[in-house]
Amino acid sequence: MEKLHFDNLQETLYTEVMDNGLHVYVLPKPGFQKMYATFATKYGSVDNHFRVEGQEEISVPDGIAHFLEHKMFEEPEGDIFATFATNGASANAFTSFDQTVYLFSATEKIKTNLETLINFVQNPYFTDQNVEKEKGIIGQEINMYLDNADWRVYFGLIEAMYKIHPVHIDIAGTVESISTITKETLYTCYNAFYHPSNMLLFVVGGVKPEEIFELVRSNQAAKSYKLQGDIERIFDPEKVEVAEKRHISKLAVSMPKCLFGFKEKHVGATGSDLLRRDLTSKIMLDLLFGSSTELYQKLYDEDLISDSFSHEYNSSPQYAFSAAGGDTADPDKLLARVREEVDKILQNGFKEDDFERARKKKIGGYLRMLNSPENIAHEFTRYQFRDSDFFSVVEVYESITLKEVNDRLHEHIDWDQLAVSIVVNP
Amino acid sequence: MNKTAFQHGNTGRMRIHVLPTKRFKTFAISLYAGIPLAEDTVTATALTPFVLRRGTESYPETRQFREQLEQMYGAGFGFDVYKRGNYQMVQFRMDTINDSFVKSKDSLLESSFAFLGEVVTRPVLEDGHFRSSYVQAEKENVRKKLEAIVNDKIRYASERCIEEMCRHEPYRLHPLGQRSDLDHITPESLYKSYQQWLDTASMDLYVAGDTTLEEVKELVNKHFAFSSDSNDVSYKQESSTRQADEVRTVVEKMEVSQGKLNMGLRTSITYSDEQYAAALMYNGILGGYPHSKLFMNVREKESLAYYASSRYDGHKGIGTIQSGIEVQNYEKALEIIKKQLDEMRSGQITDLEMSQTKAMIRNLLLEIDDSAFEMIAYDFNRQFSGKDRPRAELLQQVEAIQIEDVKAAAATFELDTIYFLKGQKEE
Repeated sequence: MEKLHFDNLQETLYTEVMDNGLHVYVLPKPGFQKMYATFATKYGSVDNHFRVEGQEEISVPDGIAHFLEHKMFEEPEGDIFATFATNGASANAFTSFDQTVYLFSATEKIKTNLETLINFVQNPYFTDQNVEKEKGIIGQEINMYLDNADWRVYFGLIEAMYKIHPVHIDIAGTVESISTITKETLYTCYNAFYHPSNMLLFVVGGVKPEEIFELVRSNQAAKSYKLQGDIERIFDPEKVEVAEKRHISKLAVSMPKCLFGFKEKHVGATGSDLLRRDLTSKIMLDLLFGSSTELYQKLYDEDLISDSFSHEYNSSPQYAFSAAGGDTADPDKLLARVREEVDKILQNGFKEDDFERARKKKIGGYLRMLNSPENIAHEFTRYQFRDSDFFSVVEVYESITLKEVNDRLHEHIDWDQLAVSIVVNP
Repeated sequence: MNKTAFQHGNTGRMRIHVLPTKRFKTFAISLYAGIPLAEDTVTATALTPFVLRRGTESYPETRQFREQLEQMYGAGFGFDVYKRGNYQMVQFRMDTINDSFVKSKDSLLESSFAFLGEVVTRPVLEDGHFRSSYVQAEKENVRKKLEAIVNDKIRYASERCIEEMCRHEPYRLHPLGQRSDLDHITPESLYKSYQQWLDTASMDLYVAGDTTLEEVKELVNKHFAFSSDSNDVSYKQESSTRQADEVRTVVEKMEVSQGKLNMGLRTSITYSDEQYAAALMYNGILGGYPHSKLFMNVREKESLAYYASSRYDGHKGIGTIQSGIEVQNYEKALEIIKKQLDEMRSGQITDLEMSQTKAMIRNLLLEIDDSAFEMIAYDFNRQFSGKDRPRAELLQQVEAIQIEDVKAAAATFELDTIYFLKGQKEE
């Protein structure tokens, strides 16, 4: 068990790698009632084409990582939610582009609940019948998202940017793609991606680290995992250019939704380089589109944006893009005005005092997030899966310079890389 | 449960509640202001905080206002307008870093009070009223928000169901008000209604963090400029629940992929009622959790839906059920849901359902301790309802509930309204 203390954050992290390769992290939060635990695999919707060392290359149906997440909750003895409920734990799971996370929170019987979490995720139980049954439920989940304008405009933007990379495929797949899923394909994916060496267990809350490690050690020692080779994730080459400049979706909305963003030209960074670019990009976008900026206030005064206007930066080693926008009465006018104003900023770059304020805001936001066990667990895992250090965020923010942010601005804002997604009334 | 408790006091105008604790990295501040929900004040009251967040005496321009928040290490600032029982609540929140984590020259707690005090009591004025351009822009903003409700079909269906069910009471009103009122609001009239609101709203100020009641009182006196000090404006509870006579079905058509089936129930049990714990159990067994009857039967057994759940609002005495289904499965889903309601009424509840639901409610109540804003919200129930219900006591009451008690609670839940949102093409 290794102990890492972060004096500036007043947090201590304990970590150990199990013999089978499972990474375990414990962050005690003295005085907290609950324990929050996540058990995550580095496997998400984009991992649809892969080869495990020594095995054959394989392509699997869209939406299968998410389907697998649903099916994990079923055990021979019944629904695992019932087991959690019996022990007073609130359980859930989610699938994103690059990870699948199983989680619970509980204030009592935390050891029993932690064992339940580990055991159910390490015990797949798929039958022809239970796989068929799930197709109806997930079909309704897909339909629910089809009616969700925010989801549609967001995915529309990614579809506009990416033609090949599977990030543009809806995480749940489509009704057609999931119809081809069988218990065999589920087992294939499970066996490839749910090996302990591809997984991370994070426990945070009012817990004693040594007790947690003891439990995990003996639990894992009782299971016979053969060592697994590396997983090669295969991504066909994606062009630098955006797939389409403008993507239109039709849905009943009170006002059009418009999201625009820039597809990053260079990707491939990992670890601390990726983290630094990420945080630099976030400051840059905040200085461009944040609610205290001149641009934001002008657009608001011109009635082109509303409180819904927001921005984000999304990145991984294989894809990276910005997204900004919200509800607007006139998407074309909004886009024209944004271009006009951003071009002005490009001439002079950002100012020192604005940059300092944006940096302070980001550091404060990060510290506030540390009040939430849920956010700590999710963010830590996400960072770890791309070899970035979640607890170095404040240091990195403190070391970023205005010049770096201005350089980032000029590198990122390339109008040829712009894509736009709009949702309008049918 | 931690042995931490709120200390209560008051200044001239507000009740003050402080939870001294070092558990969090921030100071959590919440100001609750409530007035009775009424047709002639709902829109102006809703619009007020939108205008207040545009500028104050010290930060008259919105950019200055927002830059000040960023300067305070990106202090979280926000507000909500919502209905609680028969009241319209405006709640301001701030979440500010405890100074010990950052190199700040000024006390961030004091800066927060200076800021919030100005937002609430010293807005920027022109010619003795709100700045016209801010009022105009925020009227448009609220209008857009009201129009945008339809964009989120799940929320839209749930709000429409309540609106239909309560069509003869103020509770039908949307917390953001009515579009038709917006046209008539002027900077003068809004400023007048703001002053009225400031003088008459019931106000509770909460702080959780590394501070004391005395310090907070001092900061409030220093930074809030109330003209009136009429204190003790308490919330008044009236049992206004109408008994459903017969079930009413409302069907609405819209361009949607998925049908939304919502149901509204009336109950006489409210937060201050002796049967409150039994009502919590009723909701938990029916549809509060993934082990509940609705999830198990509508979703897991029949694969009819992705979500199927129930909620219980103890401040209004209302239960709701919500589910997203294929339009052609309407009759089938309705039948299954009604069957679950029948089972609740006839007490067809297993010991396992009882113990699982108790364990989940227990977890929910214990978890409150880990979030400053959750603790604040729980304590506010007492200020609002007038019923002191310490969590330890509620826990005991839940533990003691028997199937017979749930059955008795079920007898008070009466189906009132069925609302179905369906696609335009399907028939």
